[in-house]
Amino acid sequence: MASDKKYTTVSLPTPLFEKIQDKIKGTGFTSVSDYVTYVLREILAHSNNEDAFNEEDEKKVKERLRSLGYLD
Amino acid sequence: MKVAVIGLDCAAPELIFNKLKADLPNITRIAADGIHGKLRSCDPPITVPAWMVMSTGRSPGELGLYGFRSRIPNSYNGIKIPSSNDIKFDTVWDILGKRNKKSIIIAVPPSYPPKPVPGILVTDFLTPDRDKEFTYPPGLKNEILRDFPDYQFDVKFRKPEKKKIIDEIFRMTDVRFQMAEKFLREKEWDFFFMVEIGIDRIHHSFWRYIDETSHLYEDDAEMRGKFISYFKMVDSHVGKILDLLDEDTVVLIVSDHGAKGMKGAFAINQWLIREGYLKLNDGKVKQGSSLEELDVDWAHSKAWAWGGYYARVFLNIKGREPQGIIEKENVRTELDKLKEKIKSIRGPNGEFWNTRVFEPEEAFTTVNGDRSDLFVYLDDLSWRAAGTLGYSTDYLLENDTGPDDAVHDYDGIYILYRKDKKIGKVIDSDIYRIAPTILRLFKVRKMYGIQGKPLEGIEYVE
Repeated sequence: MASDKKYTTVSLPTPLFEKIQDKIKGTGFTSVSDYVTYVLREILAHSNNEDAFNEEDEKKVKERLRSLGYLD
Repeated sequence: MKVAVIGLDCAAPELIFNKLKADLPNITRIAADGIHGKLRSCDPPITVPAWMVMSTGRSPGELGLYGFRSRIPNSYNGIKIPSSNDIKFDTVWDILGKRNKKSIIIAVPPSYPPKPVPGILVTDFLTPDRDKEFTYPPGLKNEILRDFPDYQFDVKFRKPEKKKIIDEIFRMTDVRFQMAEKFLREKEWDFFFMVEIGIDRIHHSFWRYIDETSHLYEDDAEMRGKFISYFKMVDSHVGKILDLLDEDTVVLIVSDHGAKGMKGAFAINQWLIREGYLKLNDGKVKQGSSLEELDVDWAHSKAWAWGGYYARVFLNIKGREPQGIIEKENVRTELDKLKEKIKSIRGPNGEFWNTRVFEPEEAFTTVNGDRSDLFVYLDDLSWRAAGTLGYSTDYLLENDTGPDDAVHDYDGIYILYRKDKKIGKVIDSDIYRIAPTILRLFKVRKMYGIQGKPLEGIEYVE
């Protein structure tokens, strides 16, 4: 299983792979894998996998809904 | 083939196809050239769940979404605001994404927090604020805030400054359309779906200036002018979007429900108290108090209700609610009795009300999530329900908590149009046909258990 290994393989279209190769030339990224891993981590860090609303968010949304007559 | 869906939340057939017809040249032209009609909403005809019914082809029962709040299972006061995490079925853009189609999704409720989509997504009016991540991909947020610094998810209704809000709604809608048009010009897309919530806000807050039959009607030329200008602005944006589309794009204009004048709000928990279903330990109740602020004697209460554009009534069942008192074997009898009592509620002058009361199982074959035991449409939705208490009467002609001009109606609108096709048909339809229509236009054969059929006459635009 993938989870038993430290690394696994994903497929990229060759033209995209080549584009990335060009893009990282002369940068701190030593391989396409390094760069792709970095970018994906960045994107995942932004996505919220926990509760959609924290307490304060929920308060804000509820207040707005109440003002609009939905929570009464 | 591309498909562009323009969602106008709460757009009402009578207003769009009749009363404002002459003010809306673009919408009127495509309605005449294409197929148009009423679009019967789901039950309940409420923004959440209706847009997700359109987006997934599933019923509110399957979705487990019955309105702007869900009960935290078995609790008395625990509520949860629905989010994109609660949508357990694929949306049409998820299904299209699996077929390498790219989508632009703007403000379809509930879509916060943003889920990945091949294409781009901007979340809906249930987004807490602009500090949150509200786009996919995340970087799109900066682009929006740079190009549209005034971008707003929704307006907050403030009664004392009510008249000013119409200008705020105008700006919110204008900016969202400008953003949508920019995306249509600059982004790669096959499927476009935007929802504009401003129409709903305008109806709820300013219906009195346009409906002479409303008991709240005000003959105010300036406000009526602003109401109509708002719709003219929406129409001119529809025109701009149409100009950006080619003849291979099918256009759908849809609304999730309609609107009609509100007759008043009925304080349903006061009624439940008088009928012996609900008991409070408090002596004097301050006007406008909600049940969560009060000391309810749950051990002696059989039922309580939530207000809104429809009422949800919960029974206090032993083994289900923390201090439930109705024995399981008596639930059926209690439900039937309460249903009859609610149906017999009359208006403030003793007039007959056409009230609809049903259990979710009567409306849906599958019932997921924590739902109320009864759904109540007071006088066929003409009266909204107030869950708050402390009033000297059950019949509130003005509403304390929100805008009070319009309530929801069952029928929204749809227009199916493709450039250069002269069809000219009027066919009334229903909301369950929208997702199957979109999938059919993209020639998706696998229906993933979606039951509805495409709109009648779809072959004219294929």
